[in-house]
Amino acid sequence: MLLQLKNIFKWVNSGGQRIFLLKDINLEVQEGEFISVMGPSGSGKSTLLNVIGMLDTFNEGEYHFLDESVHTLKEKYRSTLYKEYIGFVFQSYHLLDDLTVYENLEMPLLYKKYKGSERKAMVADILDRFNIVGKKDLFPSQLSGGQQQLVGVARALIANPKLILADEPTGNLNSTQSEKIMALFKKLNKEDGVTIIQVTHSEKNAAYGSRIINLLDGRRVS
Amino acid sequence: MLKNHIKIAWRSLKKQPFFTFLNTFGLAIGMAGALLISLYIYDELSYDKMFADAHRIYRINADNKFGGLAEKLAETPEPMAETLVRDYPQVELATRLLNQGNLLIRKASTTSNVKELHTIYADSTFFKMFGLNLLVGNPKTALTRPNTLVLTKTAAEKHFGITNALGQNMVLNNSQTYTVSGVVDDLPKNSFLRDHSVFLAMAGFQNPQIGHWGSHNYFTFIKMAPAADMESFNAELKSLIGRYLIPWVQAFFPGMTEESFKASGNYIKYSTMPLTDIHLYSNMKTELSTNGSIQNIYILSFIGLFLVLLASVNFMNLSTAYSLKRAKEVGVRKTLGSNKTDLVRQFLTESGLICLLSLLFAIGVAYLVLPIFNDMADKAISIPFAAPMFWLILCGVTVLLGLLSGIYPAFFMSRFIPAKVLKGSGLADIGGSKVRNSLVVFQFAISIFLIVATLVVYQQLRFIQNKELGYDKEQILVLQDVNNTNSQEQTLKKEIERLAEVKSASLTSFLPTPSERSSWTFFKEGFFDQEDAINIENWMVDYDYISTLGLELVAGRNFNPSIPTDSTAIIVNEAALKTLNVDAKNAVGLRISPDLGASEDQVNYSTIIGVVKNFHFDSFRNNIEALGLSIGRFPGSMAIKLGGQDISSTISSIENIWKTIAPGQPFNYYFMDDSFNNSYEAEQRLGQIFSIFTVLSILIACLGLFGLATFNAQKRTKEIGIRKVLGASIGQISYRLTTDFLKMVGWAILISLPLGWFAMNKWLEDFSYRIEIQWWMLILAAVLALGIAVVTVSYQSIKAAIVNPVKSLRTE
Repeated sequence: MLLQLKNIFKWVNSGGQRIFLLKDINLEVQEGEFISVMGPSGSGKSTLLNVIGMLDTFNEGEYHFLDESVHTLKEKYRSTLYKEYIGFVFQSYHLLDDLTVYENLEMPLLYKKYKGSERKAMVADILDRFNIVGKKDLFPSQLSGGQQQLVGVARALIANPKLILADEPTGNLNSTQSEKIMALFKKLNKEDGVTIIQVTHSEKNAAYGSRIINLLDGRRVS
Repeated sequence: MLKNHIKIAWRSLKKQPFFTFLNTFGLAIGMAGALLISLYIYDELSYDKMFADAHRIYRINADNKFGGLAEKLAETPEPMAETLVRDYPQVELATRLLNQGNLLIRKASTTSNVKELHTIYADSTFFKMFGLNLLVGNPKTALTRPNTLVLTKTAAEKHFGITNALGQNMVLNNSQTYTVSGVVDDLPKNSFLRDHSVFLAMAGFQNPQIGHWGSHNYFTFIKMAPAADMESFNAELKSLIGRYLIPWVQAFFPGMTEESFKASGNYIKYSTMPLTDIHLYSNMKTELSTNGSIQNIYILSFIGLFLVLLASVNFMNLSTAYSLKRAKEVGVRKTLGSNKTDLVRQFLTESGLICLLSLLFAIGVAYLVLPIFNDMADKAISIPFAAPMFWLILCGVTVLLGLLSGIYPAFFMSRFIPAKVLKGSGLADIGGSKVRNSLVVFQFAISIFLIVATLVVYQQLRFIQNKELGYDKEQILVLQDVNNTNSQEQTLKKEIERLAEVKSASLTSFLPTPSERSSWTFFKEGFFDQEDAINIENWMVDYDYISTLGLELVAGRNFNPSIPTDSTAIIVNEAALKTLNVDAKNAVGLRISPDLGASEDQVNYSTIIGVVKNFHFDSFRNNIEALGLSIGRFPGSMAIKLGGQDISSTISSIENIWKTIAPGQPFNYYFMDDSFNNSYEAEQRLGQIFSIFTVLSILIACLGLFGLATFNAQKRTKEIGIRKVLGASIGQISYRLTTDFLKMVGWAILISLPLGWFAMNKWLEDFSYRIEIQWWMLILAAVLALGIAVVTVSYQSIKAAIVNPVKSLRTE
């Protein structure tokens, strides 16, 4: 088992009222799964993803990731944990505009203290795998949306994470580009055994996954 | 990692050229200003330290009260030097200097004179005392023989150069002949001897009027043994009064003892002052050269510090404001595994880079501005590019400044929470606006304070320039060196008076602007006790003095050449009445005497025939002292009152007369109002320096404000769009954006006006004649600050307000 959420609650206080963002969420994710999280706007999809990614905290409940109890960990250990095992893909790509494709890909490796030669090899490898060698010296603004997201996925994968969290990865893309990215996810899941959790609005994209989780008003409905 | 940091820093700076420009420009101005100020202060602190053993050399000061007049003097009696060496083994060496003032000097074989402004009598120990070597001649023997002199290099080159200077005969003031016994290199510009060009042998100089314990005319320098205890030595100096001064006085006042002298309220206190303290701490009645003041050093240090602080605050403000644009970057970096330390390091690299860039600009700016600065401050400062210490300090300070300015923004930015800042693509609210606002308040508070200071200094200067002086300084030409006309000064005067454009002329060395002074001790008839002594400035003038200077008589009459007894008459000012303790009516006819005579019936009396209204003959820093005018021949210069418009033709007519009467003598003149203005040069300089640095600080504060306004307008693009869609007008929106900033300026005004009022009142306390700080000055400063802020902010506000809302809302 890769991770387990037990009775997770998250709320904010607003004007004396407690508004629940997540309500009693229970979830088990096995390694090699491809899960799609669905639900209307404001149902808590992104919040759930952030909690899983340890970017956001929760108020109540237990979270186990591999053998660690995330809810008892200190911030510092949590960040080493997600640095090691999790890669993120965003709807609006979030590539750094000032860096080239190559440098964007290299950045996570810098933070993981890989040596220069290792970094070189790993970046070259991922450029090759994603077929974007020719784009390595371009800046994000010189790429199409689909190509940018390709780089975004490559960046998430470069340090070989166990889990990829994708928040509407195709939300800003047209249908052809979408299909390409989804096919890529499928391939990664099948061939490389990477666990993927994606948030999506589209039934079609959700179908790529092995399991669908539906949220409504912060509560899991299926 | 560091390479990566620098690369990214450089790119992000390049990407925001406007922000980078504001930051670099602001910092560069601040740093350049601080650099110049530091060099100035360093120079001021270096005075007289170049002399060997400078730390062991002291000047004897005298703090005297006698005849109702308290004076602080840098001069001591003639026997002081030899007495100290004889009586105290810890005094290794003593040397005396006696000002001779300006002198006409020429080679014996020629007729045309050169005027040297600063000449001085010096003891033969002079060169040994200050460790000076001679270019030619022997420093041990150079001034031992009477009628010898030593010239500086510059002075010697005017006549015969250096190599063949030795043994040349020189004629001084067309009367005495001196032999050149040495040439000394020009004295350093930062020494108290910088202006002096001719050193005359004290040996053989005799003046019975000042050669005793009762008169203070000699600058006395002593060199102490290395281990001398100065505190006990200063205590010892007290005993000189009883040992030497009282016995001398007893010749005139037989019953006098040290006790009775003290009991009368009079005192003489001798003390030592380190040579290296003279430039900044000494402010005596007469000094060997113009001194600086430690007060100005403090003021300048504060201004320098303010400038750097302002620039640094600017940096913090702009960086935190602009960090909003980089929130996404921080978020992404954090999700990719960067920790806080890495981010802090990265942002510090950026601020370090900006500081270095600014440093380069600052050095460039300082280098370009230096000549103007030197001119203004009357200095010869250069940037010590070759000194490693200079670079070390500069780089150290720059790194420190980079850390100081960068640390807050760095921690501020590294605190961003990724889940928050990565939501959507818009600009999140990053907070920190309270800190930014208070920093703006701080900047403006300093600027407003400086505006108040500048206004007050300038008003005081205007007050001085326009104040009723009690004499008329306009259109008075002062002809100098009239005593070098071979005793023909009366002919000269008559010839000049004959010119149609000349209203009147008066021969005298004593003028209300800086010139000859002479303080005498008088006794009222019948009151000849020591405690009845009255100290009065006694000026030797001629019959036309009062009319030429436009002095106003309040009682009695002017001197009259047809009344023979007027040659011993005296006209006093109102201040003298107070010391004499009489009113104007009773004063006329009163007899006073400057000397006690051998017996009661041999006393020479002067009769008071008139009283003139007080006029300012001393700095406005001091009260008007007692003064008497008597008829006497003291024709150092001639004051000429001009009428008519064509001044230059009048001057050439006067020059023609001069040439026929005194051929070969230099024709020197100045205008009295110029001389008057020059005597307030220190204040004028302060005014200039204040105004320049005020402008700089306002500029820096405006840069910051402009940056913030730009940022604010961007941040509120969406809000502005919504407001416009809902029907707000451009005016309403720009008003809204502008008033937010004006509130901050308002706070700054509340803080800085009372401070400015307090500080400037302290400064004005130095002047006996001064303005009061008026409400309008404070209000003007406030209005100026508000005005500047409105202009700075409104451009951005209006620009933001006229954007089409469809455009601004689409960006969300």
